[in-house]
Amino acid sequence: MDSRFFQAFVDWYLISIDILFVLGFIYFFKLPKDKRANSFYWLPFLILTFTFIYENFGAYTNYNFEFKARVNAFLGNTEFPNYNLWLYNIANKQIKTILYLFLIKTWLEPPKKRIINWMIIGFLIITQFLQFSGIEPIYLNQPIIFAIGANMVLVASGLYFMGMMTNEKYLATNPLRLLSFWMMTFMLFTYSLTYIASVSLTYLYTNYPTLVISLFQIDLAMGILNKLILIMAIASPKFPNLFEEEPIFDTNESLDIQSSL
Amino acid sequence: MQPEANQFTFLLFSGAFLAVLMGTFVVAMVVLHRQRQIQNRERIEKLKTEYEKTLLNIENEIQQDTLSHVGRELHDNIGQLLSLAKLYLNSSKPEKQAEGKEYLNQIIQEVRGLSKTLNLDWVESVRLEEFIGQQLEKIKSTGHCETKLETIESFGSFPKDQKLVLIRVIQECLNNTLKHANPNLIEIKLIEEQGARKIQIIDDGKGFDTKQESKGSGMFNLKKRMETIGGKFSLSSEVGKGTFIELELPN
Repeated sequence: MDSRFFQAFVDWYLISIDILFVLGFIYFFKLPKDKRANSFYWLPFLILTFTFIYENFGAYTNYNFEFKARVNAFLGNTEFPNYNLWLYNIANKQIKTILYLFLIKTWLEPPKKRIINWMIIGFLIITQFLQFSGIEPIYLNQPIIFAIGANMVLVASGLYFMGMMTNEKYLATNPLRLLSFWMMTFMLFTYSLTYIASVSLTYLYTNYPTLVISLFQIDLAMGILNKLILIMAIASPKFPNLFEEEPIFDTNESLDIQSSL
Repeated sequence: MQPEANQFTFLLFSGAFLAVLMGTFVVAMVVLHRQRQIQNRERIEKLKTEYEKTLLNIENEIQQDTLSHVGRELHDNIGQLLSLAKLYLNSSKPEKQAEGKEYLNQIIQEVRGLSKTLNLDWVESVRLEEFIGQQLEKIKSTGHCETKLETIESFGSFPKDQKLVLIRVIQECLNNTLKHANPNLIEIKLIEEQGARKIQIIDDGKGFDTKQESKGSGMFNLKKRMETIGGKFSLSSEVGKGTFIELELPN
């Protein structure tokens, strides 16, 4: 193995992601079958697996420069062959935002679930339009797409907090012992802390390249914290005294005061 | 370089401001949640108390009715039977004495029947459609008016508390009809519409103007009682066109 391999793969962030994936994998496959079929557990695991795959793939593109240059050329980017922003855009800014929206959807009541469905459809249509129309090429920074995705996650989190205030099932719980609350809080912080930096990335990169690297570290640290919470969600049945069971909403369920009497 | 430095400071502060805003938002959410939780607990407690109070009232009303019924039965039926039994048993003729013994057996049966109505265990054993049938039969036997019962096979059962409330509401509706409507026909339909079980009480009596404010609290109580068990009460009526009451039952 040459030094380029170590340069690409031996990095605190990637190693952390790999370790977190292994932990998530162990805890997920230790879950009983019925829990594994529950979206509250398999969706975090899916996000974890997806992150593990694309981060390692990203590292591989940095290792195999020829491959990265070929993909860039295929996408029409011959100007910056050393960029792998196409992967970051598709995986982190688009697919992961959709996966997070799906995750938030599992914690909402049926009428609010429908809003998320429309948000996902809207996000998909807008991102594809912006990409294919050339407004935001896939191989360059995509501030508009990020801003739309971040706003959607912020709106979805608003829906979650609204449900927490009004829903009988959420009112019967202690939010500090709910993993959905912590996942939501960390998502909220990640998107709000990286919002300004991501939207103004091009400007900052031109004028303050060192600052961009520092700001990017915040994104990475928040990413790690988010994955840690996802693992806690997967492992939560092992710690019944630490976490409360999440309120689960069936599609046809109607809530009335009679159920609480 | 000065404008760029300003822009940089602006970005830095905007980021920090957003982070602080989010932090405040989350903390506020937790505090608000706690407050709502306390309010919700109080509301549930209030509803529970109201529910228990309604049930207690209904049980009292049913017991009062039962006691009146027992009193009437003792006076009009068992008292008469006992007098007859005494008369026949005092007779020197053996056939009369045998008849007197038969009366005693009948009295025993009647007393057993009455004793069963003294507690509310019968509510558990009787089906709602059975109870409605009995009530309509009673009305018919008095000669006040004709009655008709229409029911579906799978109307299902109810917990005792819900059945108690329903029994009382139906009794109250029928009493009101007999008292105020002077109908020729009372019809009760037990139906299922879009997954909801409903009881419709229809009469062809005098009817009344629903826009006019009611003097009593009867309708309000009926509505409230149905709501206590998670059901709904609706009424429509027109002068000269009878009354239509619909009770939507809890699922």
